[in-house]
Amino acid sequence: MSEQDLLFETADRLFGDVATFDEVQAAQQRGWSEATWSAADELGLTRIGVSEAAGGMGGSIADVVALLMAAGYHAAPIPLAESTLLAGWLAQAPGIVLPEGPLSVIPNKANDTLRLENGTLHGSAHRVPWGRNVSLILGLVDGHIVGVNPHDARITEDVNVAGEPRDDLDFEGATPVFCVAATPAQTLERFALMGALSRSALMAGALLRVVDATAQYTQERKQFGKPVGSFQAVQIHLVRCAEQAALVDLAVQVAAREADRGPASFEIAAVKTLANDAARTASRAAHQAHGAMGMTQEYVLHQYSRRLWAWRGEYGDASWRSQLGRGVATLGPDHHFHVIADGSASGIAL
Amino acid sequence: MAIRLTPTELTDQERALQAEVRAFCDEFLPRGSFEPGLGMSSGPSKELSRELGKRGWLGMALPTRYGGSDRSTVDRLVVVEELLRRGAPLEQHWTADRQSGIVINRFGTEEQKQRFLPDIAAGELCFCIGMSEPDSGSDLASVKTRATPTDGGWLLNGTKIWTSNAHFADWMICLCRTADADTPHQGLSQLLVDMHADGISINPIPLLDGTADFSEVVFNDVFVADDLLLGEPGNGWQQVTSELSFERAGPERWITPIIIVENFLREYADHLSEAALDFLGHTIARWWGLRQISLAAARMIDEGKAPALQAAMGKDMGTEFEQEVIAELQQLVDIEPSLTSDSQFSRLLARAVLVAPSWAIRGGTNEILKGIIAKGLR
Repeated sequence: MSEQDLLFETADRLFGDVATFDEVQAAQQRGWSEATWSAADELGLTRIGVSEAAGGMGGSIADVVALLMAAGYHAAPIPLAESTLLAGWLAQAPGIVLPEGPLSVIPNKANDTLRLENGTLHGSAHRVPWGRNVSLILGLVDGHIVGVNPHDARITEDVNVAGEPRDDLDFEGATPVFCVAATPAQTLERFALMGALSRSALMAGALLRVVDATAQYTQERKQFGKPVGSFQAVQIHLVRCAEQAALVDLAVQVAAREADRGPASFEIAAVKTLANDAARTASRAAHQAHGAMGMTQEYVLHQYSRRLWAWRGEYGDASWRSQLGRGVATLGPDHHFHVIADGSASGIAL
Repeated sequence: MAIRLTPTELTDQERALQAEVRAFCDEFLPRGSFEPGLGMSSGPSKELSRELGKRGWLGMALPTRYGGSDRSTVDRLVVVEELLRRGAPLEQHWTADRQSGIVINRFGTEEQKQRFLPDIAAGELCFCIGMSEPDSGSDLASVKTRATPTDGGWLLNGTKIWTSNAHFADWMICLCRTADADTPHQGLSQLLVDMHADGISINPIPLLDGTADFSEVVFNDVFVADDLLLGEPGNGWQQVTSELSFERAGPERWITPIIIVENFLREYADHLSEAALDFLGHTIARWWGLRQISLAAARMIDEGKAPALQAAMGKDMGTEFEQEVIAELQQLVDIEPSLTSDSQFSRLLARAVLVAPSWAIRGGTNEILKGIIAKGLR
């Protein structure tokens, strides 16, 4: 068993105990689950993927991806991707030590106007996950890694289609907690890749849960005197979920492995593309297999299908496909298969 | 419970093999020197099969004492994906290399192994598969072809249908009834049938694209000697289902349209629309993901595991994807594909339009595969 398998199992058990159906439902009203955060924090899971120098637990990208898959499997309503993989990536700039507690990051939306003027922050950052709940928000602004207290911003609260907080923050001359020059590798493009990897990992976990929920429901639910899962037409939906989940589950682990070796821009763009496809096809199939029961908030499916729909739109949807397509076209037909076989090592540029 | 796969990647040794195969293909099968085929239906070339045999790239998983090279399923994947992506004419050895040799090695007698395996590994023997019958497609256990005991062997009577490459095959592994039994899965056996034996007639059946890759094979009192019974009498169902699972997860289930997309890139490079870029990007991502499934399933086989469900998923997803690629390409190019066009892209697209439905049928229809997967999810 690999280290990642062990980490997944540990996190799976923990989230299974604390991020229950009722707790996830309640978090929809409260914005997040403090109990889930505390339990994960106690085990040190909330700083995996953050270097020890920056106050974290260390660990590879493959480790964080395993953790996020478990979080996705339980719809853990906490800013875990932000506090681990994404804050950890931003905190690679020298001299940053992250404080305790939940963190968030600025996802860099196209309509953001954030800028640094004489060391102070101005403008707006949109769709910041759990912006209202965290103690510090990190971002890459004008070539600098900035840490800022959300209380220094005007917060407009909003949620994504899954009900997770996605808040707009307006700054008028806020003084950052820290502001250091980014390393040459810390570009907005690479940050977007990390964001896409984080969402792909969460989605892989959610997809596995959709399979388990659909398999269970179609065995338990009886119509015409037998389980609906005994009808071939319903089995087709269940199998479609299972296939999509298996594909994204495998692909995200490969992407994580490659991301520990280099930028892995191809693998990450590809896995987010596959995860976005799966969000559409697996959710549709799962809902069809569940019938009316799946449309209610009293049953577990919506906690996963809504997250899949939400995460599909975060950190790139169609844009990854056209970037990949441009890379394929530039590389030309003679190297086309090498991309499939060798991924980023083929030299494809995104 | 969800079905999962463990990621894997090519080792340095496997990459070295890949480089060797690429160099061979560049030399032996340069682009423009032959009309590429589509995947498994690419026609036979004894010359190519012999060259591959010489290099130890056929019967790779067979023991060296039978002419094989004791290599792995992943090694074979590396070789076949290089050939398939070029549309190489590999039908002469395809069936023997992919499954007949493996089944003979697993269930055959010492004498049978010595008789058949070295020639399979040398690319000299072409096998076909006698499974489907006019009244037995997905319901394979209902086969009616019957072998009755006779002096020194069996007399075979019945009809096989939709048999690929029967008209140039040397041998068939034929699933037939050798005894009456309480359930249809019992009483079946596999016989090695010499395709040149007396009493066999082979009637080609034209396919949608006009080729005659398919045949009806009629057996009329064909004598099959005792020593050509493969495995245990009455064990045919177990043998045939294991044979089918070998053949499911390979790259032939997702790789077929690659040559068409590469020709598209060649012929349309100067005017790729936004929609074309979106298609190319979407397609490369799906290809990459499906290849990871093939690779992971092959590694599982090499580790002694039985990835039957993973392989079924790979085939179901892969073939559905192949059909989508053809449909999406057609939407992009807005041309009338033609088998006689000057453009290789148009010729290949026309052929693909005509044969794509078969991709999700051969080797177990996707509906049968989904049934198998659904059972595994309980």
